[in-house]
Amino acid sequence: MELIDFYADWCGPCQMMKPVVEEFEKAHPEITVKSINIDDEEELAEKYGVSSIPCFVVLKDGEEVAREVGAMPLKKLEKLVGVKRG
Amino acid sequence: MKKYDVIIVGAGIAGLTAAIYVSRAGKSVLVLESTMQGGQIINTINIENWPGDFKVSGAELSQKIYKQAEGLGAEIDFDNVEKIEKITEGFRVVAEDDEYIAGAIILAVGADPRKLSEKQTQDAGKRPISYCATCDGALYKGKPVVVVGSGNTAKHEMEYLQNIASKVYHIHHDDPIPEDAEAVFVAIGRVPATGNFADLVDLDERGYVVAGEDCKTSTPGVFVAGDCRTKEIRQLVTAAADGAVAATEACRYLG
Repeated sequence: MELIDFYADWCGPCQMMKPVVEEFEKAHPEITVKSINIDDEEELAEKYGVSSIPCFVVLKDGEEVAREVGAMPLKKLEKLVGVKRG
Repeated sequence: MKKYDVIIVGAGIAGLTAAIYVSRAGKSVLVLESTMQGGQIINTINIENWPGDFKVSGAELSQKIYKQAEGLGAEIDFDNVEKIEKITEGFRVVAEDDEYIAGAIILAVGADPRKLSEKQTQDAGKRPISYCATCDGALYKGKPVVVVGSGNTAKHEMEYLQNIASKVYHIHHDDPIPEDAEAVFVAIGRVPATGNFADLVDLDERGYVVAGEDCKTSTPGVFVAGDCRTKEIRQLVTAAADGAVAATEACRYLG
């Protein structure tokens, strides 16, 4: 499983998500988390059709299985990826 | 069922400030937030009218207030409150994941952006609709976009986008969407997020919780703070002020 976090430095809700994503990474080392700065990687943002950030895309075997836009608490991010703590 | 002296619905600036005051008064308090702490202000990059913090970002400011409330003993959880009922011991708070009991309630649910009309949504078709130019503007670098709305927010969104997009159209809430615009930025006002509480307290015709400066609603034991209250000026500092008043009144009510 892979979680892609599309963000930008100038985006407030993305700043809110930074500590949440860090906490997620700590709690779920089994999930690969990639944080993509859309200013640096425009092509990747375009490839995934990102039209609003923060945008979280969940991949299973390289295929997109879930997606959610906007800031959310850890609980919801875990629900999106389909993992539980502990 | 978990019991608290006060349950605050909403962890924006009003709700978090109320949590600070309730905690400092020595009462137990739970703040329930449906999305993310901070509320509307997290979309603002540079705040210049919050005393003591020049050019602070909304994200940073709300994190600071969140930590302050937590540090003083407030519990903050993420759960969407669906219903609040008066019971003999106080109030039963029904949320998506859990149920709680509180002696007093503070509604600090804030306001959400008003959604684009159905006609314009259809008009937009598959084109992205955004309610935050500072969040999404840069995705349309060098592309034509349109801003819908006639208020101050729309004006600010336009100014922001003019530095990024190749062209910024400006239309009103019933105009057709220009064909070549690649994204639609909407700023047509806000609606209070009070829908779940119409049976609990009196709302005005626009959905705001009816209360004066004392933050007392039509239901004893239920108080209201911030942008969801009927009032003239909706600013960060007035939201915080409401939080202090509502918390103090709630503690007084509990005795």
